Amino acid sequence: MKHHRTAAALAGAALLSAIAACGSGGGASGGSSASASGAAGSSAPAAAGYEAAHAGGTLHLVANAAAGTLDPQINYTLQFWQLYQATYDGLLAFQKVNGQASFQVVPDLAAAMPTVTDGGKTYTFKLRSGVEFSNGKPVTTKDVVASFERIFKVSSPTAGTFYNGIVGAGACLKTPATCDLSKGVVADPATDTVVIHLTAPDPEFPYKLAVPHASILPASTPAKDQGTTPIPGTGAYYFASYDPNRALTLKRNPYFKEWSSAAQPQGYPDEITQTFGLTVEDEVTAVENGQADWLFDPPPADRLGEIGTKYASQAHVNTLTAMFYAPMNVNIPPFNNLKAREAVNWAIDRSAMVKIYGGANLASPVCTFLPPGFPGHVDSCDYTAGGGATWSAPDLAKAKQLVKESGTAGQTVGVVVQTDDVNKQLGEYLQSVLNQIGYKAVLKPMSSNIQFTYIQNTSNKVQISISQWYQDYPAASDFLHVLLSCASFHPGSDSSINIAGFCDKGIDAQMDAALKTEQTSVTQANTMWGQIDQAVMKQAPVAPLFTPKLIDFVSSRVGNYEFSKQFYMLVDQLWVK
Amino acid sequence: MTETTVVTRSAMVPARGPWRTALADLARDRTAVASLAIFLLIAAICLLAPVYAHDIAHTDPFTSNVSGTTLVNGKTVPVLVPTTTGLGLGVTPIGPTWDIHHYFLGADNQGRDVMARLLYGGRNSLMIGISSALICCVIAALLGMISGYFGGAVDTVLNWFFDVIWAFPVYLLAISLSVVLLTNGLRLGPVSVGAGSLWLPVLIIAAVYVPYVARPVRGQVLALRGREFIHASIGIGGSDARILRRDVLPNVVPTVLVFLPLMTAINMLTESALSFLSVGVQPPNASWGTIINDGLGLLYTRPMVAIAPGFMIVITAVVLNLLGDSVRGALDPKARLRGAG
Amino acid sequence: MTRFVLRRLASTAGVLFTISVLTFLIFFATPGVDPAARIAGRNADPATLAQVRRTFGLDRPLPIRYLLMMDHLLIRHDLTSYVNRGAAVIPQIVQAAPVTLSLVIGAAAIWMLLGVLIGTISAATRGTVADPVMMVAGVVGVSVPTYWLGEVVNLLTQDKWHSGVFSWVPPLGYVSLTANPAQWALHLLFPWLTLAVLYAGIYARVLRGEILEALNEDYVRTARAKGLSERRVLVAHALRCSLIPIVSLFGLDFGALVGGAALLNEVVFGLPGVGLLTYNSLQDLDLPVIMACVLYAAFFVVLANAAVDIVYAAIDPRVRRA
Repeated sequence: MKHHRTAAALAGAALLSAIAACGSGGGASGGSSASASGAAGSSAPAAAGYEAAHAGGTLHLVANAAAGTLDPQINYTLQFWQLYQATYDGLLAFQKVNGQASFQVVPDLAAAMPTVTDGGKTYTFKLRSGVEFSNGKPVTTKDVVASFERIFKVSSPTAGTFYNGIVGAGACLKTPATCDLSKGVVADPATDTVVIHLTAPDPEFPYKLAVPHASILPASTPAKDQGTTPIPGTGAYYFASYDPNRALTLKRNPYFKEWSSAAQPQGYPDEITQTFGLTVEDEVTAVENGQADWLFDPPPADRLGEIGTKYASQAHVNTLTAMFYAPMNVNIPPFNNLKAREAVNWAIDRSAMVKIYGGANLASPVCTFLPPGFPGHVDSCDYTAGGGATWSAPDLAKAKQLVKESGTAGQTVGVVVQTDDVNKQLGEYLQSVLNQIGYKAVLKPMSSNIQFTYIQNTSNKVQISISQWYQDYPAASDFLHVLLSCASFHPGSDSSINIAGFCDKGIDAQMDAALKTEQTSVTQANTMWGQIDQAVMKQAPVAPLFTPKLIDFVSSRVGNYEFSKQFYMLVDQLWVK
Repeated sequence: MTETTVVTRSAMVPARGPWRTALADLARDRTAVASLAIFLLIAAICLLAPVYAHDIAHTDPFTSNVSGTTLVNGKTVPVLVPTTTGLGLGVTPIGPTWDIHHYFLGADNQGRDVMARLLYGGRNSLMIGISSALICCVIAALLGMISGYFGGAVDTVLNWFFDVIWAFPVYLLAISLSVVLLTNGLRLGPVSVGAGSLWLPVLIIAAVYVPYVARPVRGQVLALRGREFIHASIGIGGSDARILRRDVLPNVVPTVLVFLPLMTAINMLTESALSFLSVGVQPPNASWGTIINDGLGLLYTRPMVAIAPGFMIVITAVVLNLLGDSVRGALDPKARLRGAG
Repeated sequence: MTRFVLRRLASTAGVLFTISVLTFLIFFATPGVDPAARIAGRNADPATLAQVRRTFGLDRPLPIRYLLMMDHLLIRHDLTSYVNRGAAVIPQIVQAAPVTLSLVIGAAAIWMLLGVLIGTISAATRGTVADPVMMVAGVVGVSVPTYWLGEVVNLLTQDKWHSGVFSWVPPLGYVSLTANPAQWALHLLFPWLTLAVLYAGIYARVLRGEILEALNEDYVRTARAKGLSERRVLVAHALRCSLIPIVSLFGLDFGALVGGAALLNEVVFGLPGVGLLTYNSLQDLDLPVIMACVLYAAFFVVLANAAVDIVYAAIDPRVRRA
């Protein structure tokens, strides 16, 4: 996933990307087997009892800007997905707890995990009874069917990538206005059951049901983007008002009764507001002064020192599986030349980039496509001075030599980065490196809102850029397959997530084989992914830079900080009293 | 009684012509001389930026030096110092060492020498300010003269043109043009300006302020048009071009000369605002505006990086404004009567 | 007179139309501005993209898109943002306008007061050391980059000296006048001062020049000949006439500021006014909002210009025939 525009670097902004074709573990198919990806089937979440003494008060969040539409079936930003945890529910949900267990999917609006039959093509859910929307109306099977059809009617960004496996989805994608999923999502109001039919088995399907795009909304919700008009939901809170230039307000849902503390826990604050408009520096000052409780955007580099020292007790640093990388366009000069790409990998001082990002405690250099600690990751580094399995130092001399040999020396290279402080500094550094090895590098900073789509479109002839990728859940395919397969390369389109334009038939075949193996043996598949990683790095379509950590800076009055690996800080579980 | 005395006195001095008189007045004006001296000093130091960077500080201000080291009080220290206390977050560039051989004003986020960049930045800021002021004044003078002299349809069209550019909020127009041109560069027929070129901000800023200068010129030419000496020239059969050159232009030049230092100051400030918004001078080129922009990301730990260029902008703009005032005073005969300027 | 007014208004309308076309063209030429992919979200497939293009009319030719946008903006008033979908553009501006107005009116009051005071005193004390000192102070005010000054003010009032001298300074942001007048003023205090610094200097200098010129006019000599005190001559006679060019200058500046020219101040102090709206929409390349903001700003500038011209024409008949 890509991150949101204003939150450069760190997590705050990670956009949940399209979940790739296959996840790592067989996951929740049949809800039975021990699924990998930390979804240890039996680990019960540490369900602390609800401490009523801490309930109440207003939680005051700040963010530099709003994140677009409030419609949960369309919005694709982490900024609002963090708030949807508390306001909307799907049939299933990721557990809202601390730590690794947060990757486990549990029943939410479904009474229990589905029964999976027909070789993985049919999912039968029994709807939980007694749940009401924030407008007082009860949740019925009609709402479930309508919500799934609405995904297509509003042209949800993942309609064609997540939910195209539902029977009838093909027709819905072609003519969304008349979407009819009565064959794919079959409701039986008498027994309160919903049966979903897929055209092919999909072990990832439970995960796809747990993301906000699959939220269950009232059937009466209009089938077009609701923008700033809040839609009623089933969560512990509801959106009371939304002004993209001022603030977003959430209040307690009066019709909410906790049915599963793992899926949708009761929240603590009575009201949550997210105010927009301050610069990030001022946001940090506001949190320090106690005028705000948490800032969404990553703190600027010059405040990290004081945050880590004077306010260390209010700072929480969490590991992420994510990476910053520099994709190089392998189809246009100079990086259509393998030696040029290798030279860039040799020349970049990753520890310098780590310093720019905030130091060794906030990032670590990487040399492989899969980040360390990721399933399938194998320590290896083709581009470090003196050799070795991990990166240690750049080799400028070798890089300069390679550039000369490649015959691309002296060419003009445009480096396209986002305009926020961190990305711009990283870009300036990369520009400096390119100049040192023999190119004429020009820095092109661009607003975060445009940069991501700009670098994807081949018509813009972007030679090199800096981008980030955050995972949804541990799945090597989420990195390798999504970012480097031929299927992800759409020339001339703003939506071509294979930014490097890398299309290698041999590696594609290897990836297909690994995807297939995942359905039977996850460990074997991971070994294959590790090999694919090494094969890819030999071709060097990108220069992996570093893997970042997320820092959450909260005010002194806030307590009970919990970090879910899926949605990061659990906003409604914070104590302000 | 005093005014009459002054008039009588100057009437008794042999005439030296308006230019010589103005120059003499200027030379006598202490503020003007001091301002000019300071400005030339600043310009000279900035022009010597390569000498400073290469021979005195031994640093390359355009190459990142994130992992570099330097000498402070004889000890070797890293240029970007990681925080070791608390959670150990963040990296801080070194502050001013007050040693002109090693990071006099400290380092910026890329580990570059701020003093060297300040001098190079000054070169660019001054170059942009002066060139855009020159281009702006020349074009504005031409257009103003044509518009005021010919009147009629030409005047209406040009006036419309001025109105449109001037009504378009200055920063908006500059930002919009910059956003568009910065990614692709400018291609006007055979003329091609690259995306990273410094000519883009120069041309954009010059274009945006043309109405500011052209309107007063037009107003002045309109007033001149009705005067007898123009009628006389027309009467003896002078061509338009001749009249413009010999009668109108000499009267317009003083007005434009007064605008020159003022426009330089205004353009410098506009350039710094554009660079602050990241649509002015592009990295790794530096200007005082880009250094302020860099410095704002360091304001809480290394305020010097933002304060030094801001200070330079203020001083330069002040002396230019004072110079402009003095020039106006020297060229405007009535000013002598007022004792103003 | 009526013909003059009508001509002026017609030319105003023409200028606004030209600006709208210019804005539309400028932004259409920007690469990466195709909103379809942004609206459709990350990783959207081509079918979704095409669908979005159709819904937003993004595949029609340029002139049609321009006309559609103008129709939605000016006639139907239902133009919506490309970025914050569903957020109608006009209500956003209507909501942001009072903030900018608050900022500008307060700053204007301060700078006019300061400008007139300093300019008058400076003219009265010419020849002494006070005069050049005040003038240089004014020049410094004009020469300081306003965003830089704002950031430094924030640094001192919110951070470095916040626990001491400036503990009474409220957090950045805006409180509406109707909600809490005292907080409204307190929140706007430093933005007012920062913005006023820039203009006070200009006005002081201009006023001083005008007064000095007026002091040499015949009617002032008459007043002196009548035996009036120097102070009375200055305030009652010279100042009055000198204020006319000041008022016209004020009209132009005020018009520009109300339209959002103080965008850097609003950005630095976190005030959700028209300037900040414009700035954000430029960063996001949100074309409908940019269009509305630019037209809004241009409208006030052109209106102020026309108003000043009409007032001058009413006073001075020669101008009408120019």
